[in-house]
Amino acid sequence: MQTQALDRMFLALADPSRRGLIERLSRGPATVTQLAAPARMRLPSAVKHLKVLEEGGLAVSRKVGRTRTYSIQPRALRTIADWARSREAAWNSAFDRLAAAMQELPEKESEQ
Amino acid sequence: MKTVEIEHTTFVIERELPGSPRHAFRFWSDPDLKQRWAGCHADWTVLDERFDFRAGGAEVKRWRTPEGDELTFHAHYLDIVPERRIIYAYEMSFKGERLSASLVTIELMPSKTLTRMKFTEQAVFLMGGAAREQRVMGTEQGFDRLLEAVAAETAEVC
Repeated sequence: MQTQALDRMFLALADPSRRGLIERLSRGPATVTQLAAPARMRLPSAVKHLKVLEEGGLAVSRKVGRTRTYSIQPRALRTIADWARSREAAWNSAFDRLAAAMQELPEKESEQ
Repeated sequence: MKTVEIEHTTFVIERELPGSPRHAFRFWSDPDLKQRWAGCHADWTVLDERFDFRAGGAEVKRWRTPEGDELTFHAHYLDIVPERRIIYAYEMSFKGERLSASLVTIELMPSKTLTRMKFTEQAVFLMGGAAREQRVMGTEQGFDRLLEAVAAETAEVC
């Protein structure tokens, strides 16, 4: 991913209200009104946050008539293959911790 | 009737670990040492934990997520050669529904003063209803992890 795109994604995720919106969208598409009310947001504020999510590549919107509907960027939702990749990623971070733990507790110390 | 998609995947991870194969092996065989790196879900409540590290023995973990859903890990050790090899089969379930079943082979090889570890997982992913739900949850966790990773640059998380 390009650094600029990554920056925008981090910015999009750096706010708890925006993360709340992403969580809501991961359960299905919704309109601004449907998103704002449970999040206790005013409409203009919700629109602003959603714009940041869209720019961060995490959400997409579609306007039908006067209603704009937001949904999660399909790429952000894992495909089957990505699910396996995510397990691989989980192992990789576990093995980072394994290497660190072995370093922290060298052979002699851990056998005492 | 629910549609269940089946996906077979194999992945291999090779790592150099600090210390001898004997040392590395202990971080798989000793429950306290394994806990130091394998468990890292601060917000999951442990409901059940069993660790019987021997061929024919089982390792079981059962958690409750903050959302109140149950997740289980059930492993069965098939082959153990101290300091050299561990083979086990395991399954993961979410809310009582199977998500995946795997065969894992861990090979430890000496490499000068270090250990070369080769981890191979042959997995079957069962993508039914619960799997889909877990996948969405996983996505949310993914975002949390991403943020944690950023935070970890300034502070240790796990």
